[in-house]
Amino acid sequence: MLLEPIAQLLPAVIEHPFREGYVRSIIYVSLYVSVTAVAFSTLFSLPVALVMGFSEFRGKQFVKSIINTGMGFPSVVVGLLVLFAVSKQGPLGAADLIFTREAMIMSQFVLATPPITAISLAAITGVNENVRDAAHVLGGTRLDVALVVIKEARYGIATAILAGFGRAISEVGSVLIVGGNITSSSGISKTRTLTTAIQLEARQGQYDTAMLLGAVLVALVLTVNAIVVRLGDEGAMR
Amino acid sequence: MVELANVTHAYEDETVVTDLSLAIDPGEVVAIIGPSGVGKTTILRILALFLEPSEGEVRIDSEPIWSLSEDERLQLRRRIGMVFQDASLFDATVARNVEYGLRVRQSWRNRLRDELQSIVGSNGTSEAVTEALDLVGLTDKVNQEARSLSGGEAQRVSFARALAYDPSYLLLDEPTSDLDPRNTDLIEEAILEARDRGIGVGIATHDMHQAERIADRVAVVLGNGIAEFGPAERVFEDPTDERTAKFVSGELVY
Repeated sequence: MLLEPIAQLLPAVIEHPFREGYVRSIIYVSLYVSVTAVAFSTLFSLPVALVMGFSEFRGKQFVKSIINTGMGFPSVVVGLLVLFAVSKQGPLGAADLIFTREAMIMSQFVLATPPITAISLAAITGVNENVRDAAHVLGGTRLDVALVVIKEARYGIATAILAGFGRAISEVGSVLIVGGNITSSSGISKTRTLTTAIQLEARQGQYDTAMLLGAVLVALVLTVNAIVVRLGDEGAMR
Repeated sequence: MVELANVTHAYEDETVVTDLSLAIDPGEVVAIIGPSGVGKTTILRILALFLEPSEGEVRIDSEPIWSLSEDERLQLRRRIGMVFQDASLFDATVARNVEYGLRVRQSWRNRLRDELQSIVGSNGTSEAVTEALDLVGLTDKVNQEARSLSGGEAQRVSFARALAYDPSYLLLDEPTSDLDPRNTDLIEEAILEARDRGIGVGIATHDMHQAERIADRVAVVLGNGIAEFGPAERVFEDPTDERTAKFVSGELVY
């Protein structure tokens, strides 16, 4: 049975309430940081994709190539740059954000924005131009037309958001650098995520905990991917 | 009256329409006929206030619309309906498609309220939507998904969608070119019904017989400009322009 190795680990967690609180707090921090970062990325990416999809302007190709480069940008470098930004001497030093969830959200925002923008843009440009024009000639304002386009491209946009979430939640390098992988003295995660916890537990020989955390992470990513595939199918049927 | 006065339009370097003047009065059908690629679609898009011409004026009731502010233009734009060659329906139900024009004319507050009601499922179909669908004979499809319709049905829904908000003018870009004879008949009947209600209809078509069947006036577009513009009967039976005579008699002009 496929789930047996995981099932065997469960009693270990249940017998140790301290560990259970530890695991739960790690899942919470991971989800909190990634969901918040992806929410901000979406708010930023959608208007950018709409403007890029609707209008012609100088430098559009340049912006596109920046977005595409961003998709493959090494996450540790993003972490490093955010670390510089929030460090005492950096431009955001006064806000004292180093080793906080907010700094982690910032670096995940930088990582999630390029895929969300690029995939949304592809979905938006894929909307039939006549449908867009119909919204306009039927008396729609620019905002109405934008809403119609978002609605028509909804499956692609949802895929984009989930892809951004997938990148954010499974990323380890940058959150380690800017978050610091910290727990409180009572063993509750402050800036420890699933990924940074796994690498620490594995290094310390706590393989059962590492395995359990890994299983949780894989389950999360698989769920998200299943939704992406499902949405892709629904979108393709249209 | 919606009119074009000495309109010229060019896409980048290519001039598509040259020094063209044309008017559509309320309660008449004006057919814009000509071979493919002479800029009929461009003319309709300019009439629909969708495209600003490179030169010349577009007026609605003598008001030159491109010198107005965007808000003022929106108000005039909302008196016009347009149907494209393909139905271009939104990915939603027939009812949602047909009520679109009414919806965007409401305040955001009312729109939000209707949106919430439709989630709860408590709002019915408005009278205007039912009436518009009745005109094209599709009241029974009101709750169907638009993508499940046949091509002819979709085009009829598109027609109802442009009519539901009671426009003063209706512009149709080759609305029946992809349709079978039965659906073509239904659309033509709906066009005449709209005309009898006092709506000014402009229809671009390459089908001369269709123009003969439904048009009160005909503009023959050959080359970049209008070769002849006048009452349908006269244009077809006694054209003054030599090229028009050749075109309506079926001889190739190009």
